[in-house]
Amino acid sequence: MSAAGLDDLTEPRQKPGTELSEAEAIERAKLGDTEAFQVLYDKHKRRVYSLCLRMTANVAEAEDLAQEAFLQLYRKIATFRGESAFSTWLHRLSVNVVLMHLRKKSLPVVSLEETTQGTEDDSPKKDFGADDVALAGSIDRLQLQRAVNDLPPGYRTIFVLHDVHGYEHNEIASIVGCSIGNSKSQLHKARMKLRDLLKMNRAEKAGKSRVG
Amino acid sequence: MTCVELQESLVEIENGSGLEQKQHLQTCSACSALLRELNLIVEAASELQACDEPSPRVWNSIEIALREEGIIRPQPTDRHSALPSFGTRWGLARWLVPAAAILLLAVGIYERKSSSNEQVTQEALVVSPAINAAGLNDEDLLQEVAANAPAMKDQYEVNLQRVNESIRDAQGAVDESPNDEDARRSLMDAYQQKSMLFEMAMSQQQ
Repeated sequence: MSAAGLDDLTEPRQKPGTELSEAEAIERAKLGDTEAFQVLYDKHKRRVYSLCLRMTANVAEAEDLAQEAFLQLYRKIATFRGESAFSTWLHRLSVNVVLMHLRKKSLPVVSLEETTQGTEDDSPKKDFGADDVALAGSIDRLQLQRAVNDLPPGYRTIFVLHDVHGYEHNEIASIVGCSIGNSKSQLHKARMKLRDLLKMNRAEKAGKSRVG
Repeated sequence: MTCVELQESLVEIENGSGLEQKQHLQTCSACSALLRELNLIVEAASELQACDEPSPRVWNSIEIALREEGIIRPQPTDRHSALPSFGTRWGLARWLVPAAAILLLAVGIYERKSSSNEQVTQEALVVSPAINAAGLNDEDLLQEVAANAPAMKDQYEVNLQRVNESIRDAQGAVDESPNDEDARRSLMDAYQQKSMLFEMAMSQQQ
């Protein structure tokens, strides 16, 4: 429950059908209006939280990071001039919060610049492996999430933004601070890596079931 | 186009719809399988965020922090408010008791190092008698508001409903995992919210 509505108890109730638009909410939030903060939160909470969750695969961490992202947003909201879309600004901030968190955890964070260099594993393969286990049928959500967790953070960021959240490459480039070409390259590498991880997972399961 | 070239071309044309790509895919089963599998991954990915929703504690924590930092500014009070003094009829103490009881319970739950389901349930029951002893519960609050400030009654009702839902959800989480500090913190936050609701009603008469 939000206590935001408690302040409204001292003022006349807003008439039905006169909900705040995002632009109005932003302007009122700059003045410290509680309801405005909540309007912005309700509008963007799922996307921000989902981004944090898909990047960390931990509910508690994701909630803490979402909270931190919104707090940073609200602290800076007075400086928002509308040059970019509010959602882009918010999601850029959220990505930065998550990446900062991952760096602090001393995970092997691969910067976007580093990932462009590629590795032997990332290079196109001539032989896809005729004996590989095929990814037939549908892919289990849990398996996919586990595979996403195993991606390097740079790949994971682009994949989550593009394939999970539907951002276009030009938007991703703005959010993450990379080029459009870099975003496309990272995405393809992320998908190829996921494919390998999912195949390995299925091969392991197939091997276990044969032994068992 | 070779298989390596096909794979490199997927960076720009993800769906294999380019002319050269199509020509290669018609004759190469391995690359066709690759494209199918990549499409499966994309399709599954789009469904990952469908059910993601943060718990109420996230907003509660945000709001508390914003208030502490002074970013949320208190609304100006209306000195000539038509709201009557609740104290004239019920007395300040009547409002303080349930608010204090709720806060004490919340702090007790949070600070307790180890707990069991039974203990948590028993402590939760303490609140009800405390409130009932003061003669005030949710129904009393709403009746009082309805009698003296009918325009506010609906808003109080909505807020009470929301905070009680939050308490139920958080209580469920604590019942499930009594040693989960996050769950206990969520429960404390929810009780704090309810306490604030009673305090809001109390502050009207100041």
